Amino acid sequence: MEFEFKENEIKFERELSNLDELVIEFTKILEKQKIDYVIISGYIAILFGRSRNTEDVDLFIEEISFEKFNVFWKELYAKGFECIIESNPKEAYYGYLKNQTPLRFAVKGTFIPNFELKFPKTGIDNYSLENKVKVKLNNEILYTSKMELQIAYKLYLGSDKDIEDAVHLWQEFKNSLNKELFKGFVKRLKVEDKIKELE
Amino acid sequence: MKFPKIDLKELEKEKEQNRKNRLEFVKLYAEWLKKTPNKVWSRQQNKLLNK
Repeated sequence: MEFEFKENEIKFERELSNLDELVIEFTKILEKQKIDYVIISGYIAILFGRSRNTEDVDLFIEEISFEKFNVFWKELYAKGFECIIESNPKEAYYGYLKNQTPLRFAVKGTFIPNFELKFPKTGIDNYSLENKVKVKLNNEILYTSKMELQIAYKLYLGSDKDIEDAVHLWQEFKNSLNKELFKGFVKRLKVEDKIKELE
Repeated sequence: MKFPKIDLKELEKEKEQNRKNRLEFVKLYAEWLKKTPNKVWSRQQNKLLNK
């Protein structure tokens, strides 16, 4: 894969898939509403070429007020998305987001693919959002979590699919990663025994 | 009702071998990706994603 990798920026060009276009459409709504976000989990591996599909795209968004969330909600509905979990924005906000329960949005009338939104809860969640990486894909911009954390966390999650995602990202980015940072996450997530899978 | 002989140890080995084979494929594919122009691999990936 041809790409430019800097500490907090990855730049590359390729053909967009339908899924990429949907992710760009959704994240543009977040950008328009000035809501800080970071994409985590499986879509990152797919974004960088992994040969699999997914039914959801996971994101953390910064903790926002109900008023701001309500404007975002209306904009999503105006742009053809709907919440597939809860139809009342107040309940969606207080009953789900504020309760650390994710919300899912999809194109109206569909169920997959969908966007799973959560407020960050753990230290790692907050780190992902605060240290997000700008990905310049063609002329579009997306924000993802740091590759060093993403790979270590996938090892921690540990399902076959997660390990395969970790291997893929490692193989693509191993020469560009901050090895100290990666080792730090591996140690803290106690996945030293799994790094042998990467090579 | 007749069932085949099931050796769980043998199945476990088989499962582990399949897992290793999958990982080998992921590495092989990542190697291919590294030396293939983005335009070419992304077109192939889209055949899978846009189904």
